[in-house]
Amino acid sequence: MKSPDFCYYEALSIEDAIKFKSNDLEAVILAGGQSLIPALNMRLSSPSCLIDISKIKELKNITKDNNFIYIGSAVTHSEVMQNKFIIDHLPVLIDVLNMVAHPAIRNKGTHGGSIAYGDPAAELPAFVVAANAEIILMGLNGIRTIQASDFYHGLFETDIQDDEILTCIKYPILKNNQEILFDEIYRRHGDYAMAGVVANIEILNNKIDNLKLVFFATGTKPEVALKTSELIIKDGYDYSNVKNMIKNELDFESDLNSNAEMKLHLATILTNKVLKLMET
Amino acid sequence: MLGSKKITINFIINDEKFNDITVPVRQHLGDFLRSIGLTGTHIGCEQGACGACTVELDGKAVRSCLILSSQINGSVIKTVEGLDDTLMKKVKEIFLKHNALQCGFCSSGMLITTKEILNKKKKLNREQIRTEISGNYCRCTGYQSIVDAIEEAIEDNIQGYLK
Repeated sequence: MKSPDFCYYEALSIEDAIKFKSNDLEAVILAGGQSLIPALNMRLSSPSCLIDISKIKELKNITKDNNFIYIGSAVTHSEVMQNKFIIDHLPVLIDVLNMVAHPAIRNKGTHGGSIAYGDPAAELPAFVVAANAEIILMGLNGIRTIQASDFYHGLFETDIQDDEILTCIKYPILKNNQEILFDEIYRRHGDYAMAGVVANIEILNNKIDNLKLVFFATGTKPEVALKTSELIIKDGYDYSNVKNMIKNELDFESDLNSNAEMKLHLATILTNKVLKLMET
Repeated sequence: MLGSKKITINFIINDEKFNDITVPVRQHLGDFLRSIGLTGTHIGCEQGACGACTVELDGKAVRSCLILSSQINGSVIKTVEGLDDTLMKKVKEIFLKHNALQCGFCSSGMLITTKEILNKKKKLNREQIRTEISGNYCRCTGYQSIVDAIEEAIEDNIQGYLK
């Protein structure tokens, strides 16, 4: 299990990395490498060159203004978990990252890397979609911003173009009546989930005023249950109905650790769990 | 030429300086360490799941199978061979006392992970210890005694007995 032969290039700046990537379409970006290097070791991928962006300073900042938190793509999961802005304004992200692999992997794996890789069973792609984050990309023509919900096209497929690099993730700061809840079911702490949910909820006069349910590890990409969310906002939350609503809306896909029927069951249980939290 | 298949780098391993070392860029750090005789770092799964190859890179525990040798330019690395300060000597004694190893394959990774747990200086219950070491497999399934040892090490460290 050794990686195939490739070239290595340490990019000095974002522009430098973009230039290299647009000249060599077989080259791939190396950030933390905690998904890429296993894939190379298992020979699932054989790029011509790895463009290492992990030492580019501009990609390693977390900043905040009045409305948004900006996380640079090469910030590691451990750094995000210890950041003051995140602790104060987006603490749910720390709970989410606690479920991303293990400490030794979080010390190296990056925020942008996980989002750009787009593993359907990973937590962060579903989180950015649920949090209504924006993905900031840089390419030969400059900066482009895309809504996270439009970013994922399919299995490991994203909207990143050949000349583009994911540079930053822009999270809206939550309103006072807004909360993001998260839960997942796993075999071993840190493993990919068998099924998971992220719910973005707004409460008004003790009622759910706005809701966005996003599931992961259930299909080929993070799945937004738009109709289910709308029905729950309109008619209130009815335990006995949740399974039917989700079943009518989403296509569940079996994977190695659970089949589609089981994933539907787990998604129902998880939805009940997070919505129950809102009742208390 | 842009991008290369070999790279010449400098780094420090277990307090020893290495200058102008040329490595193939595709070689992972675990293989490199073993190639220079530091065979205490064990290679298990080579996909980041088992934790046997865990080493310390710039003060943080990482998987040496998921880092390329080409990425360690300018870094400070510690392997199990370098755990020779008073704290880690005493931790090793605690591991022995509790029989927290059978075949020893996972032990180097377990010790590096324990070092990172102790760095946090936080008291953890047994369940939290299990979560912290969830990334380290022991296929002798000696987890009970490993948790016993880490529990004692945390307590002793907080009490200041490991200085």
